[in-house]
Amino acid sequence: MMSVAARSGAFFPYMQATAFAVPGPLKALVPGVVIKGDQILLNPKKTFLCRESLSGQSAKTGPAVTVSINGNGGVRFAHTDIRVPDFSDYRRPEVLDPNKSSQDSSEARRAFSYLLTGAATVVSIYAAKTVVTQFVSSMSASADVLAMSKIEIKLSDIPEGKNMTFKWRGKPLFVRHRTEKEIAAEAAVNLMELRDPQHDKDRVINPTWVIVLGVCTHLGCVPIANAGDFGGYYCPCHGSHYDASGRIRKGPAPLNLEVPYYEFADDDTVMVG
Amino acid sequence: MAASVCRVGSTVGRSLVKSRSPILLSLRRGQASVSYAQSLLGAPETRLTALDNGLRIASEETGQATCTVGLWISVGSRYEREKNNGAGFFLEHMAFKGTKKHPQSALEQQVESMGAHLSAYTSREHTAYYIKALSKDLPKAVELLSEVVQSCSLNEADIEQQRGVVLRELEEVESNLQEVCLDLLHATAYQGTPLGHRTQQNLTRHDLVDYINSHYKAPRMVLAAAGGVNHEELVGLATDHLSGLSFEYEGDAVPVLSPCRFTGSEIRMRDDALPLAHIAIAVEGASAASPDIIPLMVANAIIGSYDLTYGGGKHLSSRLARLSVEENLCHSFQAFHSAYSDTGLLGIHFVTDRNNIDDMMHWSQNAWMNLCTTVTESDVARGKNALKAALVGQLNGTTPVCDDIGRHILNYGRRIPLAEWDARIDAVTPKIVRDICSKYIYDKCPAVAAVGPIEQLSDYNRVRSAMYWLRF
Repeated sequence: MMSVAARSGAFFPYMQATAFAVPGPLKALVPGVVIKGDQILLNPKKTFLCRESLSGQSAKTGPAVTVSINGNGGVRFAHTDIRVPDFSDYRRPEVLDPNKSSQDSSEARRAFSYLLTGAATVVSIYAAKTVVTQFVSSMSASADVLAMSKIEIKLSDIPEGKNMTFKWRGKPLFVRHRTEKEIAAEAAVNLMELRDPQHDKDRVINPTWVIVLGVCTHLGCVPIANAGDFGGYYCPCHGSHYDASGRIRKGPAPLNLEVPYYEFADDDTVMVG
Repeated sequence: MAASVCRVGSTVGRSLVKSRSPILLSLRRGQASVSYAQSLLGAPETRLTALDNGLRIASEETGQATCTVGLWISVGSRYEREKNNGAGFFLEHMAFKGTKKHPQSALEQQVESMGAHLSAYTSREHTAYYIKALSKDLPKAVELLSEVVQSCSLNEADIEQQRGVVLRELEEVESNLQEVCLDLLHATAYQGTPLGHRTQQNLTRHDLVDYINSHYKAPRMVLAAAGGVNHEELVGLATDHLSGLSFEYEGDAVPVLSPCRFTGSEIRMRDDALPLAHIAIAVEGASAASPDIIPLMVANAIIGSYDLTYGGGKHLSSRLARLSVEENLCHSFQAFHSAYSDTGLLGIHFVTDRNNIDDMMHWSQNAWMNLCTTVTESDVARGKNALKAALVGQLNGTTPVCDDIGRHILNYGRRIPLAEWDARIDAVTPKIVRDICSKYIYDKCPAVAAVGPIEQLSDYNRVRSAMYWLRF
């Protein structure tokens, strides 16, 4: 307001004298005339908060209404004129009736509010936890890296009696297609003779296929397939003999060849890892 | 050492008094002449009679030279409807403008020549007209009272003139911000109900006559007197003058007070030009006849009141008062309880400057939470003593006693003697205070009213959150 007066320069003295004192209480003036037109943008029946419509509302006499260009503008109500608005649109049904005490329903209303708040809190905490774990787990290994830890092997490529070697997780993986004779022979081995007793059926899911890690359990060399005295593998470094199931039979190695985790996706495909 | 000096001094004083030495009798003046227990039991009984038309007459005879006699009527702004809002207040103004038998000047002359005071007040549920006069003028006083109530002249010219006076009085009330604040508190707490009513101005004679005819009925009135009054004489006078009061309602339309809904809400009248902010916060309290009133009054006595003129400084016993001094929180505060027939407002009203509102509100609500959770034996003992002292101390004269009688009969149907108040107050324990305060205050939606430079008053949700403690 003051800045307007300062900027108006030469007009400053004239700008001050525009405060209206509206005399007399309870003299309502009729609001403005309705002009009939095609489109009325404002609803003329709704009273505007302007000097004319407010002039009868205050019970106070004297300068109860002031309007000016660079002074305060407003209507000074007596506090008894102020009507608390009707908030029925926002009330809960139990407190709509002004003639009923609100204490009776206060427990129930509070319980409902707290229940809703509690449920919303639980849901938000769960959502927050999900978001946070998603962001944090984005820092762990990505899918392509994880994919490198598995290998999918097409079994129809391996003829019977042959052993194929694959590179898996940096180590050699032996996949051997066994003959019926070999299967029967391995199943019949007496566990008492074995250094690391394991029955053949405990080392394979499908007896036709033996899948083991090609790492000698002695000192880590790679055994040679279809070699050795037992029809399985032979490690040339220190002379460990393994059978067709990958079990140690002769030589310095203490344990059988390790069997990794694998699953048969179908009869023709196996996923190792 | 000081204590022993005092003991010696008082024994010396007592022994000198016993010897009836005239000079030293003045030493006795500082000591109470009657002990507290004696004052409880020694109060004369309030006698209550009823006339055939339902008018009740109650009096306490104390043999003094003066008396106060008045009519207490259970009607107030709560009984008004929207269209006759303000009729009671207007009528109170019209009452002394003359009766059918005595025009205004004659009425004034009658009262003045007795040397009496004729006053009236209206509140939300009660109206009272009373005269303070000499005991020997009791018959005249009762006659004038009965005329004022039954045959008020209500002529048009006076009505118009009084309208201006009422408006002026309303304007004057605007400057009493405490009244404005508490009025706004009622308006918002009891919004949409008769207890939150505002006053209207364009009332006619017809409205006032209607008001009298529908509310000034004998069963709702009490003729109360205190001082040098004789009960039989009073009953006789009442039979002479007041048995004409009607007890039937037109169309059998007995006005029944329906309960008033309390709404937890707020109303803010911000005006940065005012120097001080008046803020009141209240929850729904107990009704006048509820047994919970006593613990709530004790609780209010624990919070107490304060204003800048209190000399106790940081040694004041109320915790909130001590904080107000130490932290310069406020100019004044008071804990109040307005009890109506079926509801009440239990709250704290404080006056402070624009930069301490947040702190004061925080500590006020903190005081409430303390009451609900951790109030101690010593707090309750102090509150009980303060309350007893206040109850006894305010009955200091025939007019307060008469007012007490009138209001009690209207609220409770009988006068509750001081001994009974004392017994009920003694029965309050810290656990009772905690339980009752939790029932009314803990985790309830308050009503807040604020006037003045109240920018610092925090949002209603914050105020509402301070009505419970997470630690409990």
